[in-house]
Amino acid sequence: MTINVRELSFSYGPRRVLDGVSFDAADGEMLCVLGPNGVGKSTLFNCMLGLSRPESGDIFFDGRPIREFGARELARNIAFVPQSHAPTFNYSVFDMVLMGTTARVGGVSSPGESEVASAEDAMERVGISHLRARGYMQISGGERQLALIARALAQQASVIIMDEPTANLDYGNQLRVLMRVKELSREGFTIIQSTHNPEHAFLFASRVLALIGGRSAALGDPREVVTEELIESLYNVKVKLSTDENGSVRCQPLL
Amino acid sequence: MRRATTTEEASRRRLYTLIVITLAALVLAGILVSFTLGRYPIRPHQLLAALGDKSREILSGITNGAVSVSKSELVTEQMRAILFNVRLPRILLACMVGCCLSAAGAAYQGVFQNPMAAPDILGASSGAAAGAALAILMELGSRMVMVFAFAASLITIALVMLVSRTARGNRLLRIILAGIMVSSLCNALTSFIKLVADPNNILPEITYWMMGSLAKTKPGEVLFALVPMTLGIAPLLLLRWRINLLTLSDGEAKTMGVNVGAVRITVIICSTLITAASVSVSGLIGWVGLVVPHLARRLVGNNYRHLLPASMFSGALFLLIVDNVSRNLLLTEIPIGILTSVIGAPFFIWLITRKKETI
Repeated sequence: MTINVRELSFSYGPRRVLDGVSFDAADGEMLCVLGPNGVGKSTLFNCMLGLSRPESGDIFFDGRPIREFGARELARNIAFVPQSHAPTFNYSVFDMVLMGTTARVGGVSSPGESEVASAEDAMERVGISHLRARGYMQISGGERQLALIARALAQQASVIIMDEPTANLDYGNQLRVLMRVKELSREGFTIIQSTHNPEHAFLFASRVLALIGGRSAALGDPREVVTEELIESLYNVKVKLSTDENGSVRCQPLL
Repeated sequence: MRRATTTEEASRRRLYTLIVITLAALVLAGILVSFTLGRYPIRPHQLLAALGDKSREILSGITNGAVSVSKSELVTEQMRAILFNVRLPRILLACMVGCCLSAAGAAYQGVFQNPMAAPDILGASSGAAAGAALAILMELGSRMVMVFAFAASLITIALVMLVSRTARGNRLLRIILAGIMVSSLCNALTSFIKLVADPNNILPEITYWMMGSLAKTKPGEVLFALVPMTLGIAPLLLLRWRINLLTLSDGEAKTMGVNVGAVRITVIICSTLITAASVSVSGLIGWVGLVVPHLARRLVGNNYRHLLPASMFSGALFLLIVDNVSRNLLLTEIPIGILTSVIGAPFFIWLITRKKETI
């Protein structure tokens, strides 16, 4: 599904959080949104998920404006992966994943056999089938994040939006989760995720959108647009970028 | 491999369904046993004969006399009167109230994302108590006490929702804070009514009502409660899968296609309706709505698909058993609200001293 965001603006009271942000994303694309805390990444996502109404501008999915989508129809097309969290009740991992199928069941019924099958399928794709009967609160942070990704897959939407999917994860889990996400984009999912780590953008993103002060500061291939100057203006830290013999980009802070 | 894993999940679901069916069967068995319990001895074969006569009588009514009416000699008229006018309404009401308080507790725990929520979290009970106290003060008779309690309970929750609408901040917190405030107002009103009530006859009656009792259950009360209870339980059962999603954050639930506002208000209204109906006929019976859902969570997990029916049947069974104790343990009847507290409080302590993972 192609996404076109056009001149999107949003304010909280007098504070303008998004100021005329535009970008496109095509099938199978993995777009990383970079930017410091409070720059409007989450607000951008909330607008795309239909949780907040943009002040001006528009969002199109396959050419259709977002306001024409009902809540359930939007959920069938766009899934959301929040940061891993601790819910009130200790649902089994399977039940947590199964919740993703809700948009496809009638308003007054429970998921049936085909939904159970798609939840099983989603868990297998991210490699957490063995956790099925465990409590969501008993598994590790990385496993929880994978469970939330499986839930998004069970939703069978073609676009997945992830809000810092690797925040709160250890180094190994960060990379494992991002590898799975990269595989999904290769399979044709359009993935939009926010991240704080420029190296992750080099490793996994097909395109990068950098936000500064609610405006789009850069948009394009990470190797072209993510420069030492951009990182310094984003995070106010001096870094040195270098390409090693394998062609991967290293980002080293200059302290 | 795929097949094997799918079967594992299917067998777990079958197990939970089986537990729910077993609980339902236990409720039925409990009802039959409860018929024979009481000061006036009725033996099982007499009970069966009386039930047989009654069902023939009903069948005859339905089929316009195609089934002949007969009366067994094993059963005296006095037995029939006790069975069908005294014990039957009380047994049914115990089951209905237990079922509704537990369903409401489970539902409130979900919508308020709070495992310690109980049916009186918004003040439905405090409102009912104020209404009942007012009706008792005005000496309107037991029927009006019931009507006043029911109406006052609904008005209280309407007030809570109204106040929470105009307040600012997190919506769930707003509702709960408004509930605390309005129920505290109701408690003040009840205290004032008790203060001005005649301490010789009116005050004891108010106090007794507040303890909760099913002692003077009449068939009319069963019918009175049946309508709102059915109207409240049915939507809860239909929406029970979606209650699961309300326990997550609003944003998450919305991105999964749930109309959070509509589902939440429906669940709150239905839970309030069944709580008000229960309290208006039984008085204040505490702890059931907190304790039973947690027992059910232990049995079938947190998924409301199984949790809600399991809570309903365990609640019915629990209150039926407690009511049997209440009317048979001592020569004078022990108010059931006291008994449920005696059982509920230790359970609660056990619950909060357990490892966190189990809540």
